[in-house]
Amino acid sequence: MKKILIASSVLVLAFLSGCMSITKVEGEQVVNNRMAVKVADAWNKVSAPGTKQPFDMWTQEGLTLDHLRLWAAVKPGQALLVHPAGSVPMGQKAPRVPTYEAGMQPDQLVSLFEVMYSADGSIVNMTKVEPAVFAGEKGVRFEFSVTRKGDDVLLNGVGWVSQSKGELFAATFLAPKLSFFPRLLPKAESIVRTAQIRG
Amino acid sequence: MTASATGGRRAFLRSACKHCVGMGALLPGLPALAQDNAAASPLPAERFARPALETDEGGLWGMMDREETRLRRSPFVVRDVELNKYLQDLVCRLGGDHCPDIRVHVVRTPLFNATMAPNGMMQVWTGLLLRAENEAQLAAVLGHEIGHYLERHTLERLRDLRSRAAFAQFIGMFGLVGAIGQLGALAGAFAFSREHETRADRLGMHLMKRAGYDGRQAAQVWDNLLGELKITGGEDAGKRSPMMATHPPLESRRDDLLKLAGDASGITGAAEYNQAIARHRFGWLQDEIRRGQFEESLVLFNRLLARNPLDSQALYARGEVYRLRAGKEDLQESLNDLTRVTAFEQPPAEAYRALGLVQKQRTDGPSAVQAFEKYLSAAPDAADSGLIKNYIAELKP
Repeated sequence: MKKILIASSVLVLAFLSGCMSITKVEGEQVVNNRMAVKVADAWNKVSAPGTKQPFDMWTQEGLTLDHLRLWAAVKPGQALLVHPAGSVPMGQKAPRVPTYEAGMQPDQLVSLFEVMYSADGSIVNMTKVEPAVFAGEKGVRFEFSVTRKGDDVLLNGVGWVSQSKGELFAATFLAPKLSFFPRLLPKAESIVRTAQIRG
Repeated sequence: MTASATGGRRAFLRSACKHCVGMGALLPGLPALAQDNAAASPLPAERFARPALETDEGGLWGMMDREETRLRRSPFVVRDVELNKYLQDLVCRLGGDHCPDIRVHVVRTPLFNATMAPNGMMQVWTGLLLRAENEAQLAAVLGHEIGHYLERHTLERLRDLRSRAAFAQFIGMFGLVGAIGQLGALAGAFAFSREHETRADRLGMHLMKRAGYDGRQAAQVWDNLLGELKITGGEDAGKRSPMMATHPPLESRRDDLLKLAGDASGITGAAEYNQAIARHRFGWLQDEIRRGQFEESLVLFNRLLARNPLDSQALYARGEVYRLRAGKEDLQESLNDLTRVTAFEQPPAEAYRALGLVQKQRTDGPSAVQAFEKYLSAAPDAADSGLIKNYIAELKP
């Protein structure tokens, strides 16, 4: 059994390392051609193989340790994440995914992210929700904790979301509560503060 | 959240313990199930001794022991001495002489499932506890799991997987860990055979009736679950849901369990059950709402309210789901539920919040402010107090 598990793990790691695309990002970056941010310290942009997600995902230390997700110009009716192709069993309807709708109130926007981070069975608790400006628009900033289902790690997160001309702009940062979150949050915030909508 | 090899391996380890109840299906075994006499079920009289470490069964126990050590530290475990004692006592009534070997762990996961490992580790998910209507229904599920344990089905499954090199399936499941619904699919990949499920159904019925429960409640469990499964699986969900891939089709399973149950003698233990879960139930309802699977949740909440129209927690939960879904008629439905629940003597503070948000959407400023102020009065330290105060400031003339 042990040998089989080791062999399986090797195959999985080979699969992941072969297909995950990681590129360095620094300087001015534009997300989805609609939101510009200035990156002082270099980050790693991670693109998973297969289904394209509607957000950019960046990390400092690796995705199991931290991630900064950036959404720009999400249209009404568009989901905040997409199920990987083939993940829905034959004959089944795909489960709901958090979807942006025009005219959502700030509390409803926060709920979208709460559901998104709960989707894998993780426990999500909102710890602070308050009005804020993001990308030059009135919106909301929210803090939350996540107990991650996959490995029981306790994480802290922060999110920012606003709307402009019927489109959603947002960012979330998540990292383990111990050490990583306090160390990396200032780097994430320094990017988020520079967010500007284009067009 | 990203899929991780760690998560996948853990999922396998967890799945190796069991599977089940929430998830089943089978065809060929059904006639046998229907004709069996539950009282004639042979049960191992003696407790299981720990298998030798060098055997495959010993290795499996070792893996499960390590998983249980991890589980004991997990933040997902509900640490409530009284609730655990209640469940442990229930398991002892079902398991008889095997009671000292079975350890119950309540795991905070809003899905219908319970699992049992060959080393005696039983996991009961909070989604099952939320959905069970009484002690007899929970006994039916846990009795089924104990049936797998008593017949060492996991060991047979492990040997079967090895002989058929079915570990390719295991590898294929990495990367699927994402939506919570997929956890069920992951579980299904390692589910017991239909024959095992049929045997476990029969043994479970035997155990619950021996403990004095109304056996017909076992059929009700599946009837209730079917309503939720139809949301994503359509009318044929009971036959082809991936969660039920190796279990009998739900409709026929229900019918066969009813035949096995016989007359209506036995207790349901509804009052005892409600008391046992009372402290946690509201939190579990909120976990269910956070799943974001609104249609499934509405089936559940409608069922809870059909059973008890004065269930203020379920009324709030349904109103909140309508508000969050925000469909064509949902705002009015939400308003109806939340207006009713806030008229109760001690409604949840969250009901005032939800009502205020609905009134704000309806542009009824004064009513919204009134509800928000009641919310902040009941929950002054609420996480979203800053946002709500801002709403009040915007709405006040």
